[in-house]
Amino acid sequence: MKNKFILFLGLFLSASVAVMAQDNISPARKQAIDSLALEKVKDLSKYISIIGSKETQFSEANRVMDRAEELFAPGAEMGVSSINTQEIAYYKVRRYFERLMALNYDRVNITWYDIQYISDLERQPDGRYVGVITVYQRFEGTSIETGMNYKDTTKKDITIYVEKKQTQIAGRTIEFWDVMLGDVRVTETSA
Amino acid sequence: MRKIFLIIAFITAIISNVPGQGIGSPGTIKDDGRFTASTKQLNQFFRRFNGEESVDGTVRYYPGDSLYRNIPLRKGFLNILFDNQTSSLSPDLKNQFIQTTLSEVYPHYLNFHREGWYAEVETIFVFKGKREKATLIMKIQSEGLGYEWVIDQVIFEPFKNLFNKPVGEQKDFLHPLSHELGFMNLRRAFQDSNLPESFTANSYKPDYLAIFLYEMKQNNLRFETVSGLKFHFFQIQGWYFEVNQFNRPGFNTGWLISNLVRLGPGDKETILKYIYDQE
Repeated sequence: MKNKFILFLGLFLSASVAVMAQDNISPARKQAIDSLALEKVKDLSKYISIIGSKETQFSEANRVMDRAEELFAPGAEMGVSSINTQEIAYYKVRRYFERLMALNYDRVNITWYDIQYISDLERQPDGRYVGVITVYQRFEGTSIETGMNYKDTTKKDITIYVEKKQTQIAGRTIEFWDVMLGDVRVTETSA
Repeated sequence: MRKIFLIIAFITAIISNVPGQGIGSPGTIKDDGRFTASTKQLNQFFRRFNGEESVDGTVRYYPGDSLYRNIPLRKGFLNILFDNQTSSLSPDLKNQFIQTTLSEVYPHYLNFHREGWYAEVETIFVFKGKREKATLIMKIQSEGLGYEWVIDQVIFEPFKNLFNKPVGEQKDFLHPLSHELGFMNLRRAFQDSNLPESFTANSYKPDYLAIFLYEMKQNNLRFETVSGLKFHFFQIQGWYFEVNQFNRPGFNTGWLISNLVRLGPGDKETILKYIYDQE
Protein backbone atom coordinates (compact mmCIF):
# COMPACT_ATOMS: atom_id res chain seq x y z
CA MET A 1 0.00 0.00 0.00
CA LYS A 2 2.78 2.34 1.02
CA ASN A 3 4.71 1.53 -2.17
CA LYS A 4 1.62 2.23 -4.26
CA PHE A 5 1.18 5.55 -2.51
CA ILE A 6 4.77 6.56 -3.18
CA LEU A 7 4.45 5.49 -6.83
CA PHE A 8 1.26 7.53 -7.19
CA LEU A 9 2.90 10.53 -5.58
CA GLY A 10 5.91 10.15 -7.87
CA LEU A 11 3.69 10.12 -10.93
CA PHE A 12 1.77 13.11 -9.61
CA LEU A 13 4.93 15.09 -9.04
CA SER A 14 6.35 14.18 -12.41
CA ALA A 15 3.45 16.13 -13.88
CA SER A 16 4.30 19.07 -11.69
CA VAL A 17 7.33 21.28 -11.44
CA ALA A 18 9.36 20.79 -8.29
CA VAL A 19 10.89 24.01 -7.06
CA MET A 20 12.84 25.54 -4.24
CA ALA A 21 10.99 27.66 -1.70
CA GLN A 22 10.63 31.03 -3.40
CA ASP A 23 7.74 33.05 -4.76
CA ASN A 24 9.13 34.77 -7.84
CA ILE A 25 8.79 32.96 -11.12
CA SER A 26 12.01 33.03 -13.12
CA PRO A 27 11.95 32.80 -16.94
CA ALA A 28 13.14 29.17 -16.75
CA ARG A 29 10.43 28.25 -14.26
CA LYS A 30 7.84 30.14 -16.32
CA GLN A 31 8.80 27.96 -19.26
CA ALA A 32 8.37 24.80 -17.18
CA ILE A 33 4.99 26.02 -15.93
CA ASP A 34 3.97 26.88 -19.51
CA SER A 35 4.77 23.31 -20.57
CA LEU A 36 2.74 21.89 -17.70
CA ALA A 37 -0.18 24.23 -18.48
CA LEU A 38 0.04 23.34 -22.15
CA GLU A 39 -0.16 19.64 -21.25
CA LYS A 40 -3.43 20.32 -19.44
CA VAL A 41 -4.75 22.30 -22.41
CA LYS A 42 -3.73 19.42 -24.70
CA ASP A 43 -5.64 17.03 -22.43
CA LEU A 44 -8.67 19.31 -22.57
CA SER A 45 -8.44 19.48 -26.38
CA LYS A 46 -8.24 15.70 -26.56
CA TYR A 47 -11.23 15.30 -24.24
CA ILE A 48 -13.29 17.84 -26.22
CA SER A 49 -12.57 15.91 -29.43
CA ILE A 50 -13.63 12.62 -27.79
CA ILE A 51 -16.79 14.07 -26.20
CA GLY A 52 -17.78 15.71 -29.49
CA SER A 53 -17.18 12.60 -31.59
CA LYS A 54 -20.29 10.66 -32.62
CA GLU A 55 -18.30 7.43 -32.40
CA THR A 56 -17.87 7.83 -28.65
CA GLN A 57 -20.23 5.67 -26.57
CA PHE A 58 -22.43 7.49 -24.05
CA SER A 59 -20.79 5.84 -21.04
CA GLU A 60 -17.30 6.56 -22.38
CA ALA A 61 -18.23 10.20 -23.07
CA ASN A 62 -19.44 10.54 -19.49
CA ARG A 63 -16.21 9.06 -18.18
CA VAL A 64 -14.19 11.50 -20.32
CA MET A 65 -16.36 14.39 -19.13
CA ASP A 66 -15.44 13.46 -15.55
CA ARG A 67 -11.74 13.48 -16.48
CA ALA A 68 -12.13 16.81 -18.32
CA GLU A 69 -13.96 18.37 -15.37
CA GLU A 70 -11.07 17.40 -13.09
CA LEU A 71 -8.78 19.73 -15.07
CA PHE A 72 -10.80 22.73 -13.95
CA ALA A 73 -10.94 24.74 -10.76
CA PRO A 74 -14.37 24.54 -9.06
CA GLY A 75 -17.01 26.84 -10.55
CA ALA A 76 -15.20 27.38 -13.86
CA GLU A 77 -17.41 28.55 -16.70
CA MET A 78 -17.33 28.67 -20.49
CA GLY A 79 -18.33 32.04 -21.98
CA VAL A 80 -19.44 31.64 -25.58
CA SER A 81 -20.10 34.31 -28.20
CA SER A 82 -20.69 34.21 -31.94
CA ILE A 83 -19.80 36.51 -34.81
CA ASN A 84 -23.37 37.83 -34.89
CA THR A 85 -23.49 38.80 -31.24
CA GLN A 86 -20.70 39.76 -28.90
CA GLU A 87 -22.94 39.00 -25.92
CA ILE A 88 -21.55 36.13 -23.88
CA ALA A 89 -23.63 33.05 -23.06
CA TYR A 90 -22.38 31.36 -19.88
CA TYR A 91 -22.24 27.60 -19.29
CA LYS A 92 -20.83 25.60 -16.44
CA VAL A 93 -18.03 23.40 -17.77
CA ARG A 94 -20.06 20.19 -17.39
CA ARG A 95 -23.08 21.73 -19.10
CA TYR A 96 -20.86 22.87 -22.00
CA PHE A 97 -19.57 19.31 -22.47
CA GLU A 98 -23.10 17.91 -22.28
CA ARG A 99 -24.27 20.34 -24.94
CA LEU A 100 -21.29 19.39 -27.10
CA MET A 101 -22.17 15.70 -26.72
CA ALA A 102 -25.84 16.30 -27.56
CA LEU A 103 -25.21 18.22 -30.79
CA ASN A 104 -27.53 16.95 -33.48
CA TYR A 105 -25.05 15.97 -36.18
CA ASP A 106 -24.37 12.53 -37.61
CA ARG A 107 -20.71 13.27 -38.03
CA VAL A 108 -18.63 15.65 -35.97
CA ASN A 109 -14.99 16.44 -36.57
CA ILE A 110 -13.08 18.59 -34.08
CA THR A 111 -9.52 19.54 -34.90
CA TRP A 112 -7.05 22.06 -33.52
CA TYR A 113 -4.72 24.55 -35.15
CA ASP A 114 -0.99 24.10 -34.63
CA ILE A 115 -0.72 27.38 -32.78
CA GLN A 116 -1.06 28.56 -29.22
CA TYR A 117 -0.24 31.72 -27.35
CA ILE A 118 0.73 31.77 -23.70
CA SER A 119 0.48 34.97 -21.70
CA ASP A 120 2.70 36.14 -18.87
CA LEU A 121 1.74 35.03 -15.39
CA GLU A 122 0.30 37.74 -13.15
CA ARG A 123 -0.02 37.44 -9.41
CA GLN A 124 -3.47 37.78 -7.84
CA PRO A 125 -4.20 39.33 -4.43
CA ASP A 126 -4.37 35.80 -2.91
CA GLY A 127 -0.83 35.00 -4.07
CA ARG A 128 -1.83 32.57 -6.82
CA TYR A 129 -0.68 33.31 -10.35
CA VAL A 130 -3.01 33.56 -13.32
CA GLY A 131 -2.34 33.32 -17.04
CA VAL A 132 -4.23 32.75 -20.29
CA ILE A 133 -3.52 30.26 -23.06
CA THR A 134 -5.11 30.89 -26.45
CA VAL A 135 -5.80 28.04 -28.86
CA TYR A 136 -7.91 27.70 -32.01
CA GLN A 137 -10.40 24.91 -32.71
CA ARG A 138 -12.03 23.86 -35.99
CA PHE A 139 -15.50 22.27 -35.72
CA GLU A 140 -17.25 20.49 -38.55
CA GLY A 141 -20.68 18.88 -38.17
CA THR A 142 -22.59 17.02 -40.87
CA SER A 143 -26.23 16.00 -40.85
CA ILE A 144 -26.89 13.15 -43.32
CA GLU A 145 -30.66 13.65 -43.39
CA THR A 146 -30.62 17.35 -44.25
CA GLY A 147 -27.24 17.32 -45.96
CA MET A 148 -26.32 20.31 -43.83
CA ASN A 149 -22.66 20.87 -43.18
CA TYR A 150 -21.80 23.32 -40.42
CA LYS A 151 -18.24 24.60 -39.91
CA ASP A 152 -16.75 27.11 -37.54
CA THR A 153 -13.42 28.11 -36.08
CA THR A 154 -13.36 29.24 -32.48
CA LYS A 155 -10.70 30.96 -30.45
CA LYS A 156 -10.46 29.58 -26.95
CA ASP A 157 -8.86 31.77 -24.27
CA ILE A 158 -8.27 29.44 -21.35
CA THR A 159 -7.51 30.75 -17.85
CA ILE A 160 -4.78 28.91 -15.98
CA TYR A 161 -4.23 29.19 -12.24
CA VAL A 162 -0.76 28.44 -10.99
CA GLU A 163 -0.27 27.74 -7.34
CA LYS A 164 2.64 26.61 -5.23
CA LYS A 165 1.75 23.56 -3.19
CA GLN A 166 3.54 21.34 -0.72
CA THR A 167 3.62 17.63 -0.16
CA GLN A 168 5.50 15.27 2.13
CA ILE A 169 7.63 12.50 0.65
CA ALA A 170 9.53 10.24 3.01
CA GLY A 171 9.43 12.93 5.69
CA ARG A 172 10.70 15.64 3.40
CA THR A 173 8.58 18.64 2.38
CA ILE A 174 8.61 19.10 -1.36
CA GLU A 175 7.19 22.19 -2.99
CA PHE A 176 5.81 22.15 -6.49
CA TRP A 177 3.78 24.35 -8.82
CA ASP A 178 0.36 23.01 -9.72
CA VAL A 179 -1.78 24.19 -12.63
CA MET A 180 -5.57 24.23 -12.82
CA LEU A 181 -7.73 25.45 -15.68
CA GLY A 182 -10.29 28.18 -15.05
CA ASP A 183 -12.88 30.10 -17.07
CA VAL A 184 -12.73 29.67 -20.83
CA ARG A 185 -13.78 32.37 -23.29
CA VAL A 186 -14.95 30.86 -26.57
CA THR A 187 -15.16 33.30 -29.49
CA GLU A 188 -16.26 32.41 -32.97
CA THR A 189 -13.75 33.77 -35.46
CA SER A 190 -14.14 34.91 -39.05
CA ALA A 191 -11.50 32.46 -40.26
CA MET B 1 6.77 52.61 -50.34
CA ARG B 2 9.66 51.53 -48.15
CA LYS B 3 7.27 51.28 -45.21
CA ILE B 4 4.83 49.05 -47.09
CA PHE B 5 7.74 46.82 -48.01
CA LEU B 6 8.78 46.67 -44.36
CA ILE B 7 5.26 45.71 -43.23
CA ILE B 8 5.00 43.01 -45.93
CA ALA B 9 8.45 41.71 -44.95
CA PHE B 10 7.39 41.58 -41.29
CA ILE B 11 4.15 39.73 -42.01
CA THR B 12 6.05 37.36 -44.28
CA ALA B 13 8.50 36.75 -41.43
CA ILE B 14 5.56 35.98 -39.13
CA ILE B 15 4.07 33.54 -41.64
CA SER B 16 7.37 31.79 -42.30
CA ASN B 17 7.85 31.43 -38.57
CA VAL B 18 4.61 29.55 -38.00
CA PRO B 19 5.42 27.15 -35.17
CA GLY B 20 5.55 23.47 -35.89
CA GLN B 21 4.31 22.25 -32.55
CA GLY B 22 0.62 22.34 -31.86
CA ILE B 23 -1.69 21.41 -29.05
CA GLY B 24 -2.97 18.33 -30.75
CA SER B 25 -1.54 15.14 -32.03
CA PRO B 26 -1.13 14.52 -35.76
CA GLY B 27 -4.08 15.90 -37.66
CA THR B 28 -3.73 19.44 -36.41
CA ILE B 29 -4.47 22.13 -38.94
CA LYS B 30 -1.53 24.20 -40.06
CA ASP B 31 -2.08 27.89 -39.50
CA ASP B 32 -1.56 29.81 -42.73
CA GLY B 33 -0.10 32.64 -40.69
CA ARG B 34 -3.31 34.52 -39.93
CA PHE B 35 -3.57 33.39 -36.31
CA THR B 36 0.14 33.89 -35.80
CA ALA B 37 -0.13 37.43 -37.16
CA SER B 38 -3.22 38.21 -35.08
CA THR B 39 -2.62 40.05 -31.80
CA LYS B 40 -4.43 37.34 -29.88
CA GLN B 41 -4.37 38.71 -26.35
CA LEU B 42 -3.93 42.17 -24.89
CA ASN B 43 -0.87 40.62 -23.24
CA GLN B 44 0.51 40.11 -26.74
CA PHE B 45 -0.31 43.74 -27.57
CA PHE B 46 1.87 44.79 -24.62
CA ARG B 47 4.69 42.43 -25.58
CA ARG B 48 4.64 43.41 -29.25
CA PHE B 49 4.43 47.11 -28.41
CA ASN B 50 7.46 46.79 -26.14
CA GLY B 51 9.38 44.34 -28.34
CA GLU B 52 9.40 41.61 -25.71
CA GLU B 53 8.65 38.52 -27.77
CA SER B 54 9.75 36.85 -30.99
CA VAL B 55 8.05 37.60 -34.28
CA ASP B 56 5.91 34.44 -34.06
CA GLY B 57 5.15 34.96 -30.35
CA THR B 58 6.62 31.65 -29.21
CA VAL B 59 9.62 33.10 -27.36
CA ARG B 60 9.31 35.64 -24.55
CA TYR B 61 12.29 38.00 -24.36
CA TYR B 62 13.50 39.10 -20.93
CA PRO B 63 15.99 41.79 -19.86
CA GLY B 64 19.43 40.54 -20.88
CA ASP B 65 18.21 38.79 -24.05
CA SER B 66 19.82 40.32 -27.14
CA LEU B 67 16.49 41.05 -28.84
CA TYR B 68 14.73 42.37 -25.72
CA ARG B 69 13.12 45.69 -26.71
CA ASN B 70 15.18 45.66 -29.92
CA ILE B 71 14.32 48.76 -31.99
CA PRO B 72 13.91 47.12 -35.47
CA LEU B 73 11.79 44.38 -33.85
CA ARG B 74 9.60 46.99 -32.15
CA LYS B 75 9.32 48.97 -35.37
CA GLY B 76 8.04 45.90 -37.20
CA PHE B 77 5.53 45.17 -34.46
CA LEU B 78 4.31 48.77 -34.11
CA ASN B 79 3.50 48.93 -37.81
CA ILE B 80 1.17 45.94 -37.52
CA LEU B 81 -0.45 47.05 -34.25
CA PHE B 82 -2.71 49.56 -35.99
CA ASP B 83 -6.13 48.79 -37.44
CA ASN B 84 -5.21 49.41 -41.07
CA GLN B 85 -8.60 48.55 -42.52
CA THR B 86 -11.34 50.58 -40.87
CA SER B 87 -9.74 53.29 -38.76
CA SER B 88 -8.83 56.41 -40.68
CA LEU B 89 -5.59 57.22 -38.92
CA SER B 90 -3.31 59.40 -41.01
CA PRO B 91 0.04 57.78 -41.92
CA ASP B 92 1.76 60.97 -40.79
CA LEU B 93 0.21 60.79 -37.30
CA LYS B 94 1.14 57.09 -37.01
CA ASN B 95 4.73 57.87 -38.03
CA GLN B 96 5.01 60.62 -35.45
CA PHE B 97 3.69 58.26 -32.79
CA ILE B 98 6.09 55.49 -33.79
CA GLN B 99 9.01 57.94 -33.82
CA THR B 100 8.12 59.20 -30.32
CA THR B 101 7.72 55.66 -29.03
CA LEU B 102 10.99 54.40 -30.53
CA SER B 103 13.06 57.48 -29.62
CA GLU B 104 16.65 56.35 -29.06
CA VAL B 105 17.11 58.94 -26.33
CA TYR B 106 13.84 58.37 -24.49
CA PRO B 107 11.96 55.31 -25.74
CA HIS B 108 8.43 54.75 -24.41
CA TYR B 109 7.01 51.44 -23.22
CA LEU B 110 3.71 50.20 -21.93
CA ASN B 111 3.61 48.92 -18.38
CA PHE B 112 0.86 46.54 -17.29
CA HIS B 113 1.07 47.51 -13.63
CA ARG B 114 1.43 51.26 -14.04
CA GLU B 115 -1.51 53.68 -14.01
CA GLY B 116 -2.67 55.29 -17.22
CA TRP B 117 -4.74 52.64 -18.94
CA TYR B 118 -8.37 51.69 -18.56
CA ALA B 119 -10.80 49.06 -19.74
CA GLU B 120 -14.23 50.14 -20.94
CA VAL B 121 -16.57 47.18 -20.55
CA GLU B 122 -20.03 47.18 -22.11
CA THR B 123 -22.40 45.08 -20.06
CA ILE B 124 -26.09 44.23 -19.91
CA PHE B 125 -27.98 44.34 -16.62
CA VAL B 126 -31.64 43.78 -15.85
CA PHE B 127 -32.79 46.82 -13.88
CA LYS B 128 -36.24 46.58 -12.32
CA GLY B 129 -37.23 43.99 -14.91
CA LYS B 130 -35.86 45.84 -17.96
CA ARG B 131 -32.68 45.02 -19.94
CA GLU B 132 -30.32 47.99 -19.76
CA LYS B 133 -26.76 48.69 -20.95
CA ALA B 134 -24.16 49.68 -18.38
CA THR B 135 -20.62 50.78 -19.15
CA LEU B 136 -18.00 49.95 -16.54
CA ILE B 137 -14.72 51.85 -16.50
CA MET B 138 -12.14 49.55 -14.93
CA LYS B 139 -8.52 49.83 -13.93
CA ILE B 140 -5.74 47.67 -12.48
CA GLN B 141 -4.71 48.20 -8.86
CA SER B 142 -2.33 46.44 -6.51
CA GLU B 143 -3.99 44.49 -3.72
CA GLY B 144 -2.74 41.91 -1.25
CA LEU B 145 0.02 39.86 -2.83
CA GLY B 146 -0.75 40.86 -6.39
CA TYR B 147 -3.06 42.88 -8.62
CA GLU B 148 -6.75 43.06 -9.45
CA TRP B 149 -9.13 44.80 -11.86
CA VAL B 150 -11.54 47.15 -10.11
CA ILE B 151 -14.56 49.19 -11.16
CA ASP B 152 -13.71 52.89 -11.16
CA GLN B 153 -16.94 54.26 -12.59
CA VAL B 154 -20.26 53.16 -14.03
CA ILE B 155 -22.21 54.88 -16.77
CA PHE B 156 -25.83 53.81 -16.55
CA GLU B 157 -28.53 55.52 -18.59
CA PRO B 158 -31.39 55.12 -16.06
CA PHE B 159 -29.33 57.10 -13.52
CA LYS B 160 -28.49 59.89 -15.96
CA ASN B 161 -31.54 62.06 -15.23
CA LEU B 162 -31.93 60.94 -11.67
CA PHE B 163 -30.30 64.12 -10.45
CA ASN B 164 -31.09 67.27 -12.33
CA LYS B 165 -30.09 70.08 -10.07
CA PRO B 166 -31.44 73.48 -11.10
CA VAL B 167 -29.17 76.48 -10.64
CA GLY B 168 -29.50 80.22 -10.02
CA GLU B 169 -32.66 82.07 -9.10
CA GLN B 170 -35.00 79.39 -10.46
CA LYS B 171 -34.04 76.78 -7.94
CA ASP B 172 -35.66 75.95 -4.59
CA PHE B 173 -33.49 76.85 -1.65
CA LEU B 174 -33.30 77.09 2.10
CA HIS B 175 -33.13 80.78 2.88
CA PRO B 176 -30.01 82.08 4.61
CA LEU B 177 -31.68 82.61 7.98
CA SER B 178 -33.08 79.08 8.17
CA HIS B 179 -30.78 78.39 11.09
CA GLU B 180 -32.65 80.92 13.21
CA LEU B 181 -35.74 78.72 12.86
CA GLY B 182 -33.87 75.59 13.76
CA PHE B 183 -34.09 74.49 10.10
CA MET B 184 -37.78 73.77 10.46
CA ASN B 185 -38.09 74.58 6.74
CA LEU B 186 -36.22 71.38 5.82
CA ARG B 187 -39.74 70.13 5.30
CA ARG B 188 -39.62 72.05 1.99
CA ALA B 189 -36.57 70.11 0.91
CA PHE B 190 -37.64 66.67 1.90
CA GLN B 191 -41.45 66.69 1.60
CA ASP B 192 -42.55 69.40 -0.76
CA SER B 193 -39.78 69.23 -3.40
CA ASN B 194 -39.33 66.66 -6.16
CA LEU B 195 -35.75 67.82 -6.58
CA PRO B 196 -34.12 67.39 -3.19
CA GLU B 197 -30.75 67.73 -4.95
CA SER B 198 -31.58 71.46 -5.18
CA PHE B 199 -30.54 71.72 -1.57
CA THR B 200 -27.03 70.37 -2.03
CA ALA B 201 -23.75 72.27 -2.28
CA ASN B 202 -22.40 73.57 -5.59
CA SER B 203 -19.63 70.99 -5.35
CA TYR B 204 -22.07 68.06 -5.03
CA LYS B 205 -21.55 65.30 -7.57
CA PRO B 206 -23.71 62.19 -7.45
CA ASP B 207 -21.76 58.96 -6.95
CA TYR B 208 -23.39 56.77 -9.59
CA LEU B 209 -21.24 53.78 -8.71
CA ALA B 210 -22.50 53.91 -5.11
CA ILE B 211 -26.11 54.00 -6.34
CA PHE B 212 -25.38 51.18 -8.78
CA LEU B 213 -23.95 48.98 -6.04
CA TYR B 214 -26.81 49.88 -3.72
CA GLU B 215 -29.40 48.89 -6.33
CA MET B 216 -27.54 45.62 -6.84
CA LYS B 217 -27.61 44.92 -3.11
CA GLN B 218 -31.35 45.66 -3.13
CA ASN B 219 -31.73 43.02 -5.89
CA ASN B 220 -33.02 45.65 -8.31
CA LEU B 221 -30.03 45.11 -10.62
CA ARG B 222 -29.00 41.73 -11.98
CA PHE B 223 -25.92 41.16 -14.15
CA GLU B 224 -26.68 39.42 -17.42
CA THR B 225 -23.70 39.52 -19.76
CA VAL B 226 -20.74 41.36 -21.26
CA SER B 227 -21.32 42.75 -24.73
CA GLY B 228 -18.16 44.68 -25.59
CA LEU B 229 -14.70 45.72 -24.51
CA LYS B 230 -12.08 48.27 -25.44
CA PHE B 231 -9.03 49.82 -23.79
CA HIS B 232 -7.84 53.40 -23.39
CA PHE B 233 -4.12 54.17 -23.01
CA PHE B 234 -2.47 57.35 -21.73
CA GLN B 235 0.88 55.76 -20.88
CA ILE B 236 2.81 57.16 -23.83
CA GLN B 237 3.61 60.72 -22.88
CA GLY B 238 1.77 63.23 -25.09
CA TRP B 239 -0.43 60.59 -26.72
CA TYR B 240 -3.75 58.84 -26.24
CA PHE B 241 -4.79 55.71 -28.08
CA GLU B 242 -7.68 53.29 -28.03
CA VAL B 243 -7.33 49.54 -28.53
CA ASN B 244 -10.19 47.45 -29.92
CA GLN B 245 -10.55 43.83 -30.90
CA PHE B 246 -10.98 43.15 -34.63
CA ASN B 247 -12.46 39.77 -35.44
CA ARG B 248 -12.37 39.58 -39.24
CA PRO B 249 -10.68 37.66 -42.03
CA GLY B 250 -7.10 38.53 -42.95
CA PHE B 251 -3.86 39.30 -41.17
CA ASN B 252 -4.72 42.63 -39.53
CA THR B 253 -6.79 41.21 -36.67
CA GLY B 254 -6.97 40.92 -32.89
CA TRP B 255 -6.23 43.76 -30.46
CA LEU B 256 -5.23 46.81 -32.53
CA ILE B 257 -4.97 50.58 -32.16
CA SER B 258 -8.16 52.06 -33.59
CA ASN B 259 -7.85 55.64 -32.46
CA LEU B 260 -4.79 57.81 -31.92
CA VAL B 261 -4.66 61.38 -30.63
CA ARG B 262 -1.69 63.66 -30.07
CA LEU B 263 -2.38 65.39 -26.76
CA GLY B 264 -2.12 69.13 -26.29
CA PRO B 265 -2.36 70.88 -22.92
CA GLY B 266 -5.61 69.89 -21.18
CA ASP B 267 -6.54 67.26 -23.80
CA LYS B 268 -5.89 64.33 -21.49
CA GLU B 269 -8.33 65.66 -18.90
CA THR B 270 -10.93 66.35 -21.61
CA ILE B 271 -10.67 62.80 -23.00
CA LEU B 272 -10.76 61.30 -19.51
CA LYS B 273 -13.89 63.30 -18.71
CA TYR B 274 -15.41 62.05 -21.94
CA ILE B 275 -14.54 58.43 -21.14
CA TYR B 276 -15.91 58.79 -17.63
CA ASP B 277 -19.02 60.41 -19.14
CA GLN B 278 -18.72 63.52 -17.03
CA GLU B 279 -18.88 66.07 -19.85
